Amino acid sequence: MIYKLGVFSLLLFGFGSLVLGQEVITVKGSDTMVILAQRWAERYMAAHPEVAVQVTGGGSGTGISALINGTTDVCNASRPMKNSERDKLKQRFGTRGIEIKCAQDGLSLYVNEANPISELTMQQIKDVYTGKIGNWKDVGGPNERLILYSRENNSGTYVYFKDNVLLGEDFAPTAQNMPGTAAVVNAVAKDKWGIGYGGAAYGKGIREVKVKKDAVSPGYTPTFENIKSGNYPIARYLYMYVKNRPAGTMKEYIDWILGDEGQKIVSEVGYFPIR
Amino acid sequence: MNKLSPFFASVVCCLHLSTFAQGVEPASKEELEELKSVVEGERESAMEYRGYVDALRKIKISGYMQTQFRLTDLNGGTAQFSGGNFPANTNKMFQVRRARLKIAYDNVLTQFVVELDAIQTGVTMKDAYLSVIEPWTQSFGFQMGVFYRPFGYEMSFSSGSRETPEQSRMYQTLFPGERDLGVKLFYSPQIGPFSFLRAELGIFNGSGPASNEFDNFKDVIGQVVTQFPLDELNAAVDLGLSGYLGNVRNATKFLWTNGESAPGTKGFVLDSSATNLGDGAPRRYVGLDVQLYYDVPVLGGLVVRGEYITGRQPGTSTAPTPAGPNGTSQTTISPAAQATGPVYQRDFAGWYVNLVQNIGNDNQVIVKYDVYDPNTFVTATDFVSGNNLSVADIKYSTLGFGFIHHWDGNVKFVFYYEIPKNEKLTSSTIAGTSPLAPFVGDVKDNVFTFRVQYKF
Repeated sequence: MIYKLGVFSLLLFGFGSLVLGQEVITVKGSDTMVILAQRWAERYMAAHPEVAVQVTGGGSGTGISALINGTTDVCNASRPMKNSERDKLKQRFGTRGIEIKCAQDGLSLYVNEANPISELTMQQIKDVYTGKIGNWKDVGGPNERLILYSRENNSGTYVYFKDNVLLGEDFAPTAQNMPGTAAVVNAVAKDKWGIGYGGAAYGKGIREVKVKKDAVSPGYTPTFENIKSGNYPIARYLYMYVKNRPAGTMKEYIDWILGDEGQKIVSEVGYFPIR
Repeated sequence: MNKLSPFFASVVCCLHLSTFAQGVEPASKEELEELKSVVEGERESAMEYRGYVDALRKIKISGYMQTQFRLTDLNGGTAQFSGGNFPANTNKMFQVRRARLKIAYDNVLTQFVVELDAIQTGVTMKDAYLSVIEPWTQSFGFQMGVFYRPFGYEMSFSSGSRETPEQSRMYQTLFPGERDLGVKLFYSPQIGPFSFLRAELGIFNGSGPASNEFDNFKDVIGQVVTQFPLDELNAAVDLGLSGYLGNVRNATKFLWTNGESAPGTKGFVLDSSATNLGDGAPRRYVGLDVQLYYDVPVLGGLVVRGEYITGRQPGTSTAPTPAGPNGTSQTTISPAAQATGPVYQRDFAGWYVNLVQNIGNDNQVIVKYDVYDPNTFVTATDFVSGNNLSVADIKYSTLGFGFIHHWDGNVKFVFYYEIPKNEKLTSSTIAGTSPLAPFVGDVKDNVFTFRVQYKF
């Protein structure tokens, strides 16, 4: 009985996963990384027509959930995986997942071009986003109400900002959660007294504020040099996660991303290469 | 109407903008101001709706259903630890083993959770708890209600994720229902230098999830878990140490403990001290669990889990169908209600090793071997008439193996075959009419399970 059932199982399911034709790599996760991931995919597919790379966003949390559920091959994340997420991956796939640092990002603070503020300290940013400061005059600007733009809580950018800038404190309830960093940029561009945060790649068309570690430190913008030197205080890695050690087409794709061509695209999009 | 207004306003805006862009009729300053106020109004409406959406996103609904077909060797077969016994005249049956619906309101640092199980025999509550995490380090918190007891690994490994259809025999015996009513404190940092550590300590009724408390004894349960990631080796090791310190009220003055009932005859000895009435019979467990993870090239993740639990268990049954409220099991279960008979104290030990090899993303092969000895003081040759040993004292080992195919992110098919082996008693000392007579040989209780699970 067992033998027959085993044969039946193999016939029914064992080979059901074989897919003929073009090899498909699915990528899902961080909205911050979605443009970068699309550029990688476009260039790679142009050079490797036998491979299809499908990229979607949704946020780092959504991407990690998809990796755990087995509905994506690669997860893009703008924050490291949490322990609880690693545990779920271990339960389902027996691995902690492979973490691949693929780019660096300086998280920018955006203000409207008409806003005279040019720099903020980390403490001021924290006070602004936790609601302790509600008026631009308290940070050296005009007597105007601060309008806060933030991200949704499934965003890795949101989590990173909360953990590293707000030091775990909650966002002010007046902060408006936007569905993507592009939406934050658009909102700030239209709102003279708005302030937002997000990846440097989305910083076109609005002005970045210099960030100071403290009141006596000089202010820095998120340039490659400032991030590499550690002077810019809100810098982070961008990650790719896969379930198992990459092999075959997947390995070739990841090696290509970490190679000269992939890292060149990192710079083109506005992020910083890892080497 | 309110819901439609943003749409109509957007259309109006687009028409205005379109006209403006085409330069057919340049908008006046007043028209632009009007347009600006419309846009501003709609933006405020959108923000309001976003607030509603954000609030709704905190409500999380999940669940899973396990429907299965099982087959055993004999009509009316005993398969208590393989998903339930078979009715008389039946050796094959369909079942809805579990149909869980979990609703959580997750406010990041506070949580409300209720989980129900609806199957063919009725609806029961599985989880109902709240949890609060402090906002400063977000590492400490407490949980209160009915939830998994913080002991070992397999206890809190969701049956929706577990590869084998059922828990090992020792867990089903020692912790029926897995959960209990109580409160626990926990330390579980998600990031930072101590994120490898998790500690939990709780106090519980001790009577399990399906009943109200019946004595004043409360049980203390705790565990410490450490994780050692070995990323360079594509591996990881997790270790856990657990303890259980509890008591069960003795409703009689009779307390049976392991000893020699006659010189050279191992069994139980009776203590009939009047002070035993209402006293607490100790319930003491200590457990060690290990999980090894290794990413096997080409194949996928390999998991080896092992767990060992030993201690002292107060039970009540000395016969296959004991009288009283605890007469639901042939083994020394933890009490679900006040015992009416004398308490039997047994020193026990149990362990299991479970191997899971992933094959690609969709397939898994499982092998599991578990052993449970409910009374380590005695062996098969000690079963003689007059020393009060019963089926509750028989040691079991169970070999199981199976195959899982994950159809997609929701559906999985499980094929599992389980071979329980009881220790064989000596025929010369067991009367043919004794309830122990079937255990002179290996009882025919192998079970095949085909399960389909849908999880969302």
